[in-house]
Amino acid sequence: MDKSSSQRLPPLKRNWWLKHRFFKLYMLREATVLPLVFFTLCLLAGMVALLQGAESWQGWVAFMGSPIVLLLNLVALAASLFHAATFFVLFPRVMPLRIAGHSLPDQVIVAGQWAGVVAVALLFFWLLGRV
Amino acid sequence: MSISKHGAQHKQAFDEPLWWGLFSAGGVCFAVLLPAVILFIAVLLPLGLLPAEALSYERASALLFSVPGFLFIGAVVCLPLFHAAHRLRHGLFDISVGNDATNKKLMYGGAALLSLLALGLVLAGMLG
Repeated sequence: MDKSSSQRLPPLKRNWWLKHRFFKLYMLREATVLPLVFFTLCLLAGMVALLQGAESWQGWVAFMGSPIVLLLNLVALAASLFHAATFFVLFPRVMPLRIAGHSLPDQVIVAGQWAGVVAVALLFFWLLGRV
Repeated sequence: MSISKHGAQHKQAFDEPLWWGLFSAGGVCFAVLLPAVILFIAVLLPLGLLPAEALSYERASALLFSVPGFLFIGAVVCLPLFHAAHRLRHGLFDISVGNDATNKKLMYGGAALLSLLALGLVLAGMLG
């Protein structure tokens, strides 16, 4: 423990972030990884099921369809989109792009990243969605 | 509670760029890949909204237990796990839970173990 710095600054209370909207949004963004971890653990279970055989795989698909699991994964989907919205605006600040001497407007860089999200979704549709 | 994360001697944190790099790479994967992955695998598949054969046992095995499947798991499981570990570690620090040196080992260690498990499962499927 670093005693010297705690002598300089009073320790923060655990609820410091509840006092301002900006910090609440910051903590919400930190929390987007909780449903992500849930989805990842589901995916790992699915991989084990796939290794075990067809019956286990069908069981896993049924498990994924149970209301609570489905609800938590819908939260994970929303969290991934919220994370994307907060992450994409950082890119032009961290790495401004210049093309032919002109700096690319922030909105263009953000829109380009959303286009990436759509492109991945279309790739999945091409792979899994066609009848 | 300590304010500094780097101990009393202010040791140089040589490993932080590695965790930061994995956090960033995982953040890109979480933002760009995960919305579609969650939508198709965790929502449309269990709701029966995909064609019946799209992720049948045979098709899912063929897709996952392959070199592209191995890369897919790296990008969709391993990197986002390190992203999550980083955010959880700093989130725990923010709400003064536990000790950062311990949290760091637990979080990154957990991400590494689950990553090895995930990649190992793909390799087992490819060999088996």
